[in-house]
Amino acid sequence: MRPRWKKVLTDLWDNKARTLLVVLSIAIGVLAIGVIAGAYVIIDADMSVSYAAHNPANLELRMQDFDTDLLDAVRHYHGIADAEARRAISLSVRPQGSEVWTKLDFIAVQDFKENRINLLTPVEGADQPHNGEILLEEDARDKLGVAPGDVVEVRLRDGTIKPLRVAGIVQDPTTSAADFLAAPLAYVPDDSLPDLHQPQTFNRLYITLDSGQDDEDHIREMLFTVKDKIEKSGYYVGFTRRSKTHQHPLASTVNAVLGILMALGVLIVFLSSSLIANTLSALLQQHMRHIGVMKLVGGRNYQVLGMYLVLMLAFGLLALLIAVPLGGQGAYGLALFIANSIGFALQGYRIVPLAFVAQIAVGLLVPLVAGLAPVLSGTRITVLQAISGDPARFGGGVSESLIDRTLLRLTQALARRGIHTPRPVLISIRNTFRNKRRLALTLFTLTMGGAIFISVFNVRTSLYRFVQQVGNYFLADVSVDFSKSYRIHKVESYIKQVPGVVAVEGWTYATAEILYPDGSLADNINILAPPANTSLVSPLMVAGRWMRPDDVRKLVISESILDAYPDLQPGDTLRLKIEGKEETWEVVGIFKFVGLEGTLGYAPYEYLSRAQNRANRAFSYRVITEEHDRAYQNLMRQRLDASLRAHGFQVEDTTAGLASLDDASESLDILITFLLIMALLTATVGSMGLAGTMGMNVLERTREIGIMRAIGGTDTRIMGIVITEGLFIGLISWVLADILSVPFSYFLSGIVSRAIFNTPIQVVFTPTGFGLWLGLVIILSSLASVLPAYNAARLTIREVLAYE
Amino acid sequence: MPDTSASEPIIQLREVVKTYHSEAGDYTALKGLNLEVYPGEFLGILGKSGAGKSTLLNMLSGVDQVTSGEVLVRSAEGVIALHTLDENALALWRGRNMGIVYQSFQLLPTLSLMENVMLPIDLCGNYHPRRSRERAMELLRMVELEEHARKIPAFISGGQKQRVAIARALANDPPIIVADEPTGSLDSVTAEHIFELFEKLVAAGKTIVMVTHDQGLMPRFTRYKILADGAWVEEMP
Repeated sequence: MRPRWKKVLTDLWDNKARTLLVVLSIAIGVLAIGVIAGAYVIIDADMSVSYAAHNPANLELRMQDFDTDLLDAVRHYHGIADAEARRAISLSVRPQGSEVWTKLDFIAVQDFKENRINLLTPVEGADQPHNGEILLEEDARDKLGVAPGDVVEVRLRDGTIKPLRVAGIVQDPTTSAADFLAAPLAYVPDDSLPDLHQPQTFNRLYITLDSGQDDEDHIREMLFTVKDKIEKSGYYVGFTRRSKTHQHPLASTVNAVLGILMALGVLIVFLSSSLIANTLSALLQQHMRHIGVMKLVGGRNYQVLGMYLVLMLAFGLLALLIAVPLGGQGAYGLALFIANSIGFALQGYRIVPLAFVAQIAVGLLVPLVAGLAPVLSGTRITVLQAISGDPARFGGGVSESLIDRTLLRLTQALARRGIHTPRPVLISIRNTFRNKRRLALTLFTLTMGGAIFISVFNVRTSLYRFVQQVGNYFLADVSVDFSKSYRIHKVESYIKQVPGVVAVEGWTYATAEILYPDGSLADNINILAPPANTSLVSPLMVAGRWMRPDDVRKLVISESILDAYPDLQPGDTLRLKIEGKEETWEVVGIFKFVGLEGTLGYAPYEYLSRAQNRANRAFSYRVITEEHDRAYQNLMRQRLDASLRAHGFQVEDTTAGLASLDDASESLDILITFLLIMALLTATVGSMGLAGTMGMNVLERTREIGIMRAIGGTDTRIMGIVITEGLFIGLISWVLADILSVPFSYFLSGIVSRAIFNTPIQVVFTPTGFGLWLGLVIILSSLASVLPAYNAARLTIREVLAYE
Repeated sequence: MPDTSASEPIIQLREVVKTYHSEAGDYTALKGLNLEVYPGEFLGILGKSGAGKSTLLNMLSGVDQVTSGEVLVRSAEGVIALHTLDENALALWRGRNMGIVYQSFQLLPTLSLMENVMLPIDLCGNYHPRRSRERAMELLRMVELEEHARKIPAFISGGQKQRVAIARALANDPPIIVADEPTGSLDSVTAEHIFELFEKLVAAGKTIVMVTHDQGLMPRFTRYKILADGAWVEEMP
């Protein structure tokens, strides 16, 4: 091997700590890019393929009970490829022997063998349940903690407990793909409906189209036509949903979240590049004499430049050796995790060429780009500067900087006031600012890492606060639904007899369609009607006012209406088709809610109950109890259920709190975990930068340290000087990170909340992130400085003074 | 002793001035020096610390640029005015025509002794795996370090390092060797061995310019000049 390449090789091998630092800092960025880009491509492809493979319904109609006559008729409508009917009911289920009920949506399927729409994928056990058996969707299995062969108990609406055997576990990527707050699913054969005290009829219609399955306009037009025909046949349609065949309803949300992770990945690459620039700059400084010698014996600029470019490429190649295999595995692992969370299947492990190429490009280009400036300036040094070991002496220039002068004046001013800064502390502070370029790059890396870290905690708190605020629309501790309406005074008097009950409200509700001026469907809306002075709703008003008892055909509506009517303001009117009749309603207020859940509206019970001819009566009641924790809510649910049934009320269901909000919080936890991982990666790059900087600073000051020891500096004193310097850098970065985290928090929370909730949310700042980062930065700074400080302290005077 | 009257000088300095600029003010290290070095000479340049010896050596090796005046060097390519060459051209010219030896050896610590010697051959474009290796071994044999060829500099003594530096200076077989205090950091016995090596090289036809503060070496140069405050004060013979 030529001597010059041998030198490159030994430069790589001899200083393993430095090589490891550079290689790891490149590898972290490359890994992040590989994992996220790979997962993005896999999910983008497999999500739509998996979704389409399950033949999702283009139209879903939730409607009044119907039979096979209507189903047959729909199958013959023009433009319809196929139609299937099912019955969906909500029932509470618990594993045998357990006291905890979980609400599941039961789907009764006509014939599992002939199932052609919204197909199920068998995961475990049987895929066709018989009478007395049940199939559980993976999410339901996880919630209940049961396996095929186990028995679960179903609480029927009359309170009867019905045991069912779990026949198998399935995956259903289609049925509730778009429901953020949907309950987990279970499937039974429709001949078991009588055993569940349900009529053997259908209430959901699933339709596929014979053309234009991915054409939004065509699907909307067909929905309008089909619904119109069905309604003309005398059936009431309560809720509709449309969906493209090759687009998972959550695709844009998942892609947006992956986009955020990708942006953080790019940021990590950016941060690691500043670490690489710093390390290479120090390396070039350490190699100044080597460069001088090479030029002295005939080396030209391009030869020296070539050697260092090859060295940087070697760093990149080593990083790729680590990051590419891990990135491929990580990408598939992340994709699999997301697929399992959402409920779709991947097409199998594979290398994503785009991610592979992106990793190679990043791995090779980042060190080259980051290192080019220090390498160019390092290799352009003259022989004289290099051999003397002092570039400043021969043309580099030496002058006292503004920071030096400021520090001097500050310490002098303090001294005049009798405050004498200890000399070692002064040395530490001055040392901090000696290599300003290195300090700037270190601070940049550590500050960015800290700002992201703090922001993630702020975003986390903001998201949870928003979910809590969404819970303000559902404040009841227990909800009681009856299968017939009762007089409110009667129910109230019975409920209030149950110990622990504080208050009770009777609610009504209606589903309606919001129409465009041409009469076509703009959106579905669920109208909840609590008493106007309800204490159970604390709306986040965006515009206008909350409802009043005397409101007639007046509506407070959620912000998602702005998707259909972007200019809608309080005072404007909307055409609603409510219970088959078209009416004009005035919008009096707009409130914030989860956009993905569709549009929600509130109207006063006082009006809607009269309009439904059920004044002073209600099907649905909300109960407030003395305590509000989940255990107490469960206890009160049991008490109320037992008491009301004992008094002869036809109780359909009782629910504690709002279980679905727990599910929503769990989904957020997954996202927050990813964000925290990215934040920790940025913090790791930042601390690696600081460790590298402290190592380089100490190495370059070895002779100085020797002199300090020769004139009486103890080990403790020298270690103290180095560690104080590291801590000082850490604390400066903490202050800067605090400031930078403010815009970062707004930016990140804006993107995340729009992706998840389809609405911007209020940013909440929590001291947790600031405090944790302060603690971390102190620990990281100390750790990053301790090893270099220890190395400095343990050298003998003879060794350090002999150092070159 | 070379016949200075019969041959053309191999190095010629004409009115060389070198001034350093700093915040403390200007400092003129060389004050219009003239010098002629003839082929086969062993020229000693003597002077106290700060006299300008190393600055002078940097001028005639092209390591530093003159403020005014000329440095002319005769080589296979003809007479070259060093001050007209750019950094890259100077590096290549120096690698082929001038070997340089420093007091602090300036070996690359990560390369073996043999690789250190081969480095100038590699950088000057004369590299051939087998021939370069043979040449390096031949030079290490000459300086009696053949058996240490695969060691790195950290594992040999100061005197041995200086012999490797001399071997490296001869790698491309340059006609001129310049040496800046080559025995300055060595004990007297080792220094004597190094000096004898230089004498052998002169005997073999090399031209050597050596800077030293050791006046005891004066009789052993074919010619010496004494520098003080950037100007010549004496020349012998």
